[in-house]
Amino acid sequence: MATSSRFLFMILMVLAAAPVLFALLFNFSPVINFVLVMFALVCDLLAFSTKYYAEFFTPFLHARGGIVTLNDSEAFTVAPSGNAIIVRNGQNIYASAFVKIPSYRSATEMTEEEKSNFSRSFSRVLTLSKEPVRFTAQLYVIDKDTYIENIKSKLNEAEEKYQNMTIDKSVSKADSERVRGEVTMWHNLFDNINKTRSHSLEAFAMVTAPGGNEEEAINMALQQADEIVAGASSTLGISANVVEGQELLKFLEPDYMIPAVTISEQMRERTVSKEI
Amino acid sequence: MDEKTMIYLASTSAVALIVIFGATYYGPFALIAIAFAVLTIILIFVINYADFLVFPLVTNIFGIKLVPAKNYYIPRTNNCVVKYVNGIYYATGYSAANIYNYVFEAESVDEGEVSKLTEAPEKWERIVMNAGFPFRFNIVCAAGDIQKFRDELEGKRGVVEFQLSHEMGSSSPSQLTIDDLQKKISVLDARIDRLSSGERPVDEIMYIESTAVGVSEKEAMDTLTNQLNHLQTLFGSLDLNITRITGREVYHLFTFNYALPDKDVMSEIFSAQS
Repeated sequence: MATSSRFLFMILMVLAAAPVLFALLFNFSPVINFVLVMFALVCDLLAFSTKYYAEFFTPFLHARGGIVTLNDSEAFTVAPSGNAIIVRNGQNIYASAFVKIPSYRSATEMTEEEKSNFSRSFSRVLTLSKEPVRFTAQLYVIDKDTYIENIKSKLNEAEEKYQNMTIDKSVSKADSERVRGEVTMWHNLFDNINKTRSHSLEAFAMVTAPGGNEEEAINMALQQADEIVAGASSTLGISANVVEGQELLKFLEPDYMIPAVTISEQMRERTVSKEI
Repeated sequence: MDEKTMIYLASTSAVALIVIFGATYYGPFALIAIAFAVLTIILIFVINYADFLVFPLVTNIFGIKLVPAKNYYIPRTNNCVVKYVNGIYYATGYSAANIYNYVFEAESVDEGEVSKLTEAPEKWERIVMNAGFPFRFNIVCAAGDIQKFRDELEGKRGVVEFQLSHEMGSSSPSQLTIDDLQKKISVLDARIDRLSSGERPVDEIMYIESTAVGVSEKEAMDTLTNQLNHLQTLFGSLDLNITRITGREVYHLFTFNYALPDKDVMSEIFSAQS
């Protein structure tokens, strides 16, 4: 990308400088000279723009209806092995691997010296690789979908049982009361779980490697990831591991950061607060 | 200002200046040509120093939406990336978060700096507890070349030592300046010692990312703005300089989620940041 930006800059600089020199050296009529320098100034401005906007030039030229498509393919594809993602940018292939860095201790239970040591260890982790690494601490909403479904089915079961008991005359009052208590319990649990959102904090590192083909890029990325795993584990005294499968999506897709169940909760909360 | 920027600025400004100096060649159009040349120089400097204003201005005026990948788009305001899935809009925005106030114990010449470092983990936990929405704190870093960094530090140390000896040799030396220069030397010495003990210099970029949802694009974007403002308040306890990112950098940070650029591109970004 850097090379193409410089190449574009040089071409535009030639296009900017040549008309000015022609105008000054050959001294055409004032109108021609004026047209030449106007063209030169436009090229000059475009030449400087390549410093920041080189990669937008071609997509802007192909813009349709105010939509500039920089990339029309998926943002990434998960590698067949499930432990890396593949990103294609034109002819270039990149693979990225993710390393989960768990932490089980809170700063509130550390002594002053331990806190200072932790900060120092953390700064050492940042120097683990010469290649660019992204270290991220992510606070996301826990997907309670399965849990809520489970409670719902238990609640339905208990309600059905209670209804059958009220019809059945042979059931004792004590048994009926017990089942009613069970229904109330599931109801309370269901209401409470919807009232609050549960968050989770996870830290991870991401490394990227280019490659001639997908396999090469994946292997290189995993090799770098293994270095981070070893370094982070020994420096912080934890067991870091390469992220695999479905868990990868949590670090990539916004809709996995905020699961669908939570969205409906949020919408309901906002509607209620607006009504109030 | 880095070398590349200087070359770009100098060469493009030179063309515009030649146009101004050759004004006599354009006859009755001389004034218009000079005006356009001056405007070009101004625009070049505006792009260089306020690119974050220029890019959103262009997309806003022409109503341009950028599509960075399938299912994602950057609206004309250029301050977030929106994903539209199953009737729900997910808006993701970014804020630059640079830590200036945290130095390492070895460099420190002030007692207060040590306490800042030990308080940081607890402050971070408090931020996490008080943020009731998803966000990410990202640090993109790469260990630098030790020899190059060492040479730079030794060069700086030489300059400061020269200034110190000059100040001490003057007829009326200022104690305040001498103290300041000695403090600078001790910080540089501490850094050189750390390199000798095996530590590596690191280039880094820090940014915060947050995601908000809504049934409409506007709702998601408004919620996102509230969340980023809230994060700005929360991270205030860490003395972070937080600025919302707009313009083309939103696209670049979006791509960082999936693939990091190589070392050369990264070092260009690092140098531009410094």
